Amino acid sequence: MVKIHAGYTGGGLALALLIQLGSLTAIGKAQGPAIDRSVYYVQNNTQDQEPLKNHLAHMERRYNIRINYVGNTVKGIYADAPPAKDPATRLIDYLNKFLLPLGLEAEQVGQDQYILYKKSGTKPADHPITPADLDIAPVNVAAISAATTAAVAGELQQFAVSGQVTEESGVPLPGVTVVVKGTTNGVKTNENGKYRLNNVPPNGTLVFSYIGYKTQEVKIGNRTAIDVKLLTEVQSMKDFVVNGYQQLKKESYTGSAITITGEELKRFNPQNILQSIQASDPSFRLVENNIAGANPNQLPNVNVRGTTAIPTGDASQLSRTQLANVTNLPLFILDGYQVSIETIFDLDFNRVEMVTLLKDAAATAIYGSRASNGVVVIQTRAPREGELELYYNYELNVTTPDLTAYNVLDATQKLEYERLAGLYTSNGVNSADELEKMYYAKKKNVLSGINTYWLSQPVATDFGHKHSVSLQGGSSTMRYGIDARYQTNNGVMKGSGRDRYSLSNTLSYQPKSQKLLFRNQFTLSQVSAKASPYGNFDQYVNMNPYYPIRDSAGRLIREIDKWNYRGFNDKGEDAGLTATVLNPLYDATTGSFNKSSYLEFIDAFSTQYTPTDALRFNATVSLTKRKTTEDVFASPLSNYYYFYSGDALKDRGKYTYTSQDDMQVDGYATITYNKALQNTHFLNFSLGMNVQATKTDIKSFSAIGFTNDRFTNITFARKYEDNTAPAGDIEEQRLIGGFLSFNYSYQNRFLMDGTVRVDGSSKFGTGSRMAPFWSYGIGWNLHKEKFLQHTAISQLRLKATTGLTGSVSFPAYLSNTTYQYYTGSWYSTGVGAVFTAYGNPQLKWQRTNNYDVSMELGLFNDRVYISPRYYYKLTRDLLADINVPTSTGFDKYKANLGEMVNKGYEVYMRANVWRTRNWSANINVNLVHNTNVITKISDALKSYNDQVDKQQDAKADLATAPLLRYKEGQSLNTIYAVRSLGIDPENGKEIYLNQDGTRTYDYKVKNTVPVGDQTPDIDGYFGGSLIYKSLMLQVNFYGKVGGDIYNQTLVDRIENANPWYNVDSRALALRWKQPGDHALYKDITDKSLTRTSSRFVQRENRLELKSVYLSYDAPATLYKKLKMKNLRFALTMNDLFYWSTVKLERGIQYPFARSFTFSLSTRF
Amino acid sequence: MKRYLVLIIIITVFGSCKKWLDVQPQSQVSQDDLFSTEDGFKEAINGLYSRCAQKDLYGKELLGGFPDVLAQNYTIASDDPVHYKETAIYNYKDADFISRKDSAWRGLYNVIANANLILEKVDKQQAILTPVSYALVKGEALAMRAYCHFDVLRLFAAVDAGGKGIPYVTAFSKDVPKMYKTGEALDLMLKDLQAAKTLLATADPIVSAGYKVGYPIPDSSTEQNGDLFVQERRHRLNYYAVCGQLARVYLYKGDKANALSNALEVINAHKFPWTRQSDFLNPDDTKKDRILYKELLFAFYIPNTTEELRRLFRNSDRGLYISIQEGRNLYETGGVGGEDFRYKQWLSEQTVSSTNYLRLEKYARDPDNNLHPQMAPAMRLSEMYYIAAECTFDTDPAKAWDYFNTVRLNRGIGATLNDPSKTMFLQELVKEARKELYGEGQIFYMYKRLNMPITGQNGSTVPASSAIMVLPFPDDEIAYGNR
Repeated sequence: MVKIHAGYTGGGLALALLIQLGSLTAIGKAQGPAIDRSVYYVQNNTQDQEPLKNHLAHMERRYNIRINYVGNTVKGIYADAPPAKDPATRLIDYLNKFLLPLGLEAEQVGQDQYILYKKSGTKPADHPITPADLDIAPVNVAAISAATTAAVAGELQQFAVSGQVTEESGVPLPGVTVVVKGTTNGVKTNENGKYRLNNVPPNGTLVFSYIGYKTQEVKIGNRTAIDVKLLTEVQSMKDFVVNGYQQLKKESYTGSAITITGEELKRFNPQNILQSIQASDPSFRLVENNIAGANPNQLPNVNVRGTTAIPTGDASQLSRTQLANVTNLPLFILDGYQVSIETIFDLDFNRVEMVTLLKDAAATAIYGSRASNGVVVIQTRAPREGELELYYNYELNVTTPDLTAYNVLDATQKLEYERLAGLYTSNGVNSADELEKMYYAKKKNVLSGINTYWLSQPVATDFGHKHSVSLQGGSSTMRYGIDARYQTNNGVMKGSGRDRYSLSNTLSYQPKSQKLLFRNQFTLSQVSAKASPYGNFDQYVNMNPYYPIRDSAGRLIREIDKWNYRGFNDKGEDAGLTATVLNPLYDATTGSFNKSSYLEFIDAFSTQYTPTDALRFNATVSLTKRKTTEDVFASPLSNYYYFYSGDALKDRGKYTYTSQDDMQVDGYATITYNKALQNTHFLNFSLGMNVQATKTDIKSFSAIGFTNDRFTNITFARKYEDNTAPAGDIEEQRLIGGFLSFNYSYQNRFLMDGTVRVDGSSKFGTGSRMAPFWSYGIGWNLHKEKFLQHTAISQLRLKATTGLTGSVSFPAYLSNTTYQYYTGSWYSTGVGAVFTAYGNPQLKWQRTNNYDVSMELGLFNDRVYISPRYYYKLTRDLLADINVPTSTGFDKYKANLGEMVNKGYEVYMRANVWRTRNWSANINVNLVHNTNVITKISDALKSYNDQVDKQQDAKADLATAPLLRYKEGQSLNTIYAVRSLGIDPENGKEIYLNQDGTRTYDYKVKNTVPVGDQTPDIDGYFGGSLIYKSLMLQVNFYGKVGGDIYNQTLVDRIENANPWYNVDSRALALRWKQPGDHALYKDITDKSLTRTSSRFVQRENRLELKSVYLSYDAPATLYKKLKMKNLRFALTMNDLFYWSTVKLERGIQYPFARSFTFSLSTRF
Repeated sequence: MKRYLVLIIIITVFGSCKKWLDVQPQSQVSQDDLFSTEDGFKEAINGLYSRCAQKDLYGKELLGGFPDVLAQNYTIASDDPVHYKETAIYNYKDADFISRKDSAWRGLYNVIANANLILEKVDKQQAILTPVSYALVKGEALAMRAYCHFDVLRLFAAVDAGGKGIPYVTAFSKDVPKMYKTGEALDLMLKDLQAAKTLLATADPIVSAGYKVGYPIPDSSTEQNGDLFVQERRHRLNYYAVCGQLARVYLYKGDKANALSNALEVINAHKFPWTRQSDFLNPDDTKKDRILYKELLFAFYIPNTTEELRRLFRNSDRGLYISIQEGRNLYETGGVGGEDFRYKQWLSEQTVSSTNYLRLEKYARDPDNNLHPQMAPAMRLSEMYYIAAECTFDTDPAKAWDYFNTVRLNRGIGATLNDPSKTMFLQELVKEARKELYGEGQIFYMYKRLNMPITGQNGSTVPASSAIMVLPFPDDEIAYGNR
């Protein structure tokens, strides 16, 4: 049970801390002593008296309450045992009656929770407060007669209560309704949040309610001044864990769940919700993508607490980004139904109320076969009762490219590098004179001042806007809400971007009886993505700085340069050849495009029936329909077709159209039963089942032969692409499951959780259609125990959970032997069908055994909170290829074999280090460490390793990258390369180590061994916030210590850099040039390919300034004038600063960006 | 009562659950789906032949590829453009050779697995098949299983009955198939083939008297009558092909009596006429029959590998060819072969960079207008005569020579032979078979079965030995099957 504390604060110290405690309700703080009507006298004789502490402990046991106090408060106070409580007396009255004579007073802070204070010196507020002091705004709910003091019954005496209502942050809340419970006697707070209410009975209760805030009930007791801080409904939700099926009290929950409000997430990165979740809990990890950089259309790959899948597939389809293709995503649940990561990626941030991240088995087991990779539960805002209100939010997003990772040569240096690399010494084609001529032609360019910074050509600082409007209101029976959003997000590569439009509507109806609730919500989203016509960024990095972009007339130069070299021509003859350098900027002037868009419709309907307080029935059904289309057009005039000639000319240009239809029906029904027995046993049962059916239908085809790029519609194509057939695929899967989950706590001291789930999936083999999953967790609230009460430890909870969860992230029909037709080649007696692969009917889900122990420690009324956790996940039955003798008719099949362990620890810390009336400073640190070990793999993966070796020898683009292999005892983060001893100072060659430890100059891929591990020793986010009145500053850093990294830049851009193109500046400075040089990089004239070796493995420490957030709440005087109900300005800056011990080019195909978001939000 | 009701509900819910979870793929065909109709079975049968017609099997490699290279049928250019040079010198560690023979192994067992899947279903689904379809489907699947196993055996197993055999696979399963000694494997093949023969004897349209074999158009053949599935019986394992295959297997086993009776059953059926000289020698390319189409008991329909074969045999001297001298030696053009039609029709003299060579024309095509479709010969009438000759020589040498001379006569060799020496007979028989089956991938098996030295080029001979005649199993088979 961890909360990400918002860091809000205000004047009421105790209150703010109590909110962190997770109590159900909070009340105002008593500011004056009450009027005593009966007093226990303090006896001077202390001999028969016991320490007050003992009495308090006795009361706690007897009345099953909790009394908090600091040791000093009760030190040295002795008292007689008080008489037993009269059942009619309220506990708080009883307590105060006992305590007031002792110079103490009690305050109720929650159900059965009390706090003890030394009585403050304030004088009883028995003098009337004048309306002038308070500027009261009376309301007509009741006639207020300020002077009335008539006793109504018995001792009852009516008096006036006054005070101030504020937000948690201390900002006054105007318009809050304050009513005496059960009466019509009430007022509204004025614009300073102040109120005064007359005719209040001393044993009455005040109800503070306001839209968007949790209603609070405060017992008046004997006070005349009651200040209240209202919690927003969202914040109060943090006391609960919402797992998609149930809502459980956090205090009695043993699972590992992180709850973050939408507001908190937005403060981190208002453009990317997934990034924000990562910052709140680093065990939710977005896999770094150095290739795609800050491409706004790149969906991130996410894993929670490490990877639990082995990439399957063919070694012949290896790519450098092997691991990026592993499907290991957590399950995303939006308002109870499963959605894709793309839906979350494009979700309107303003609609997000709360995100709950479920991590261990106790938390996720109710999702059974889908639970192994963690579950992200997202709730959207529900409309609130009240008058029609309009929320408006505007964001201006500015992104600027971050090119600091690039350090390329300038024109002079580059030409010098070319000369040193021997380009002008000989090229096998031209004579020495001709080469010299070429050199001086370029030299002339350099001297004439041409020094083009190509990197800045395709990028630009761009703006994006977001307008989001939300309308809501309604009565207690009928509520409605409409959200509309328009959002553009332009990437830093010119022309790229992602536009999102969405409209959603929520309608809920609750008949007067309050037993039934119907709710319907539909969401319509349109997202259009376009890629930059400028192509990949690396093209620009490669361009030589001495090339001019335009000719003297200002036209783009298309053919910029030619390089002659010797090689084999098409006929295989050795000949002089020419490579032409084309201007990549030219492509942007053609009509090529690459765009995709989708329209998504989601409708969810839910019914809730609550016959009694203890029992609840819930049923939800949702329908998701999404249509995606992708249009990619390569113009016939683009550089790709530059060399086409003759007949091929008419086949230039290509249009590829892809459409994808997704359909999902998801439904669940639950029965929940809550019961408290004698205030000792708290029970919570849930029984539920869910059903899900999804279908994906993909079709695509390509056409070629366009005449020009003015006619880009596919109808202008000449024909279908040669030797291709239209492609299509339909995948359908179904899932059904039922679960029983119970939660029990004994006196809130001992906690227990358990879940059993049975899942059936169409993906499982026919031999094992149903799968059982379970979890069990226990916890102990030590702070409820006597020995820890009234100490500095305000919270101490120990929890341990275990369980079995599963994942089925494999294609739909693996368990089925399927046939394919020889559609392209009929046999003379008809079309033939042969089986494609052996479908293993025994195929089942991957199973993960989870173990999790954690502690939560709160000190000094939770001003300091530390929660360390340790987890261990053993994933068995990993889906892997099993090789069989080919005499079976096939060479491998999929089976469940292989084991992997993920273990690690997570530490969450936060502290309120400084707090005064106007100031508050908080720091927070979240650190994680995850270790991944493959403990068992199949033979097929061993032979896969041999395949990788082969591929690495055969394919040039793979030869220089560290490819993943699988070895027992190693991890998925292991870097595999040939061990290197560095560069021989004598001859500039690299020295390698053979497996037996001998030295060699010969590179052999067979000598590849594990040479590094990318797992950081520790990494995480840390930062702090500073609040001054209505100003707030929050800063977040990401830090990483340790972990190896294979510096691809050194390989690709220094050693294997083709001197025809621009290179990293280190290529000129740090390469071996003459004997005796102790250089890091090999001989500058050596053009041989540098292969994957340990020389490029570097240890990385990193620090990133991820976000800076600044917000200001405008004063009421300002927004009132504008007829607004509030007004907030905020500025978020993301990815401002990046520092690493490894100098690596980042954002290969798309550069990284810094982004600045200015936002304005208001309410009418 | 209530309890039972709950129980019933639970049972129905879970019962229907299982059914609901049984999702049939739509863009692929699941096996249950395929074998739920008669058409599905027919498609699966066609699939066996389509698979065989791919280039790793009879579409190219087993037709004119490495088995003929091993039989020293080709001259290979010094720069080895198609990578057969190492194969020709029996370097079984050569990567290209390993890849080819492993692909052949994998491909043949793939066909076998497909056949096994059909056999697994055909009896269960007999009700949905007409009697004729049932017999054809089951008979051909059994025959195909034996046919492919036999070629695996001829490539990878020892000849003697007790020697190293092959896995004989009769079930579609992921379990490691059991190994059988050569003799045992042959018996299993015979069992499958006999069963196939019984099934086809009545059902196969080819056995009916009216069924006429010939070219599609000019011969008014009846091969294209009826439903598509029962057409072109010679493109599939028909009754006579099964007889021929039985003759082959019996002979391999050494059971000459049975081999003879099966070979004679084919010969005496007179279903397959000798090719007219006018067709074989027709100067008009479009009317020429280059592969002696009517004499084929069984052949694979391979129009899809025409281009592959063109590149292999007709790509100037960049593919497989035979030098002029070797070609003449092979067809004995200086002696009895002076008028051999086959030499003239199958080999044409070509010149490239002032070097002459002979190009194999057997599979040459005019793009559209040939007399018959592109076929890969799998079994010839002449082979039945050879088998008959070999099986009768011990008892009746004259009769044996008679069979031998019949084939020769039809190929334009008038000179008859009649020598009582068995050695002489076998030598002549192999020589003759080599001419007849050139570029058809069969002659290597004959050398192997008879344990005869292979006649190499430039007058050399390669002594028969199991080291070269028993190909090593694929590494994967050894590693994963503990062979």
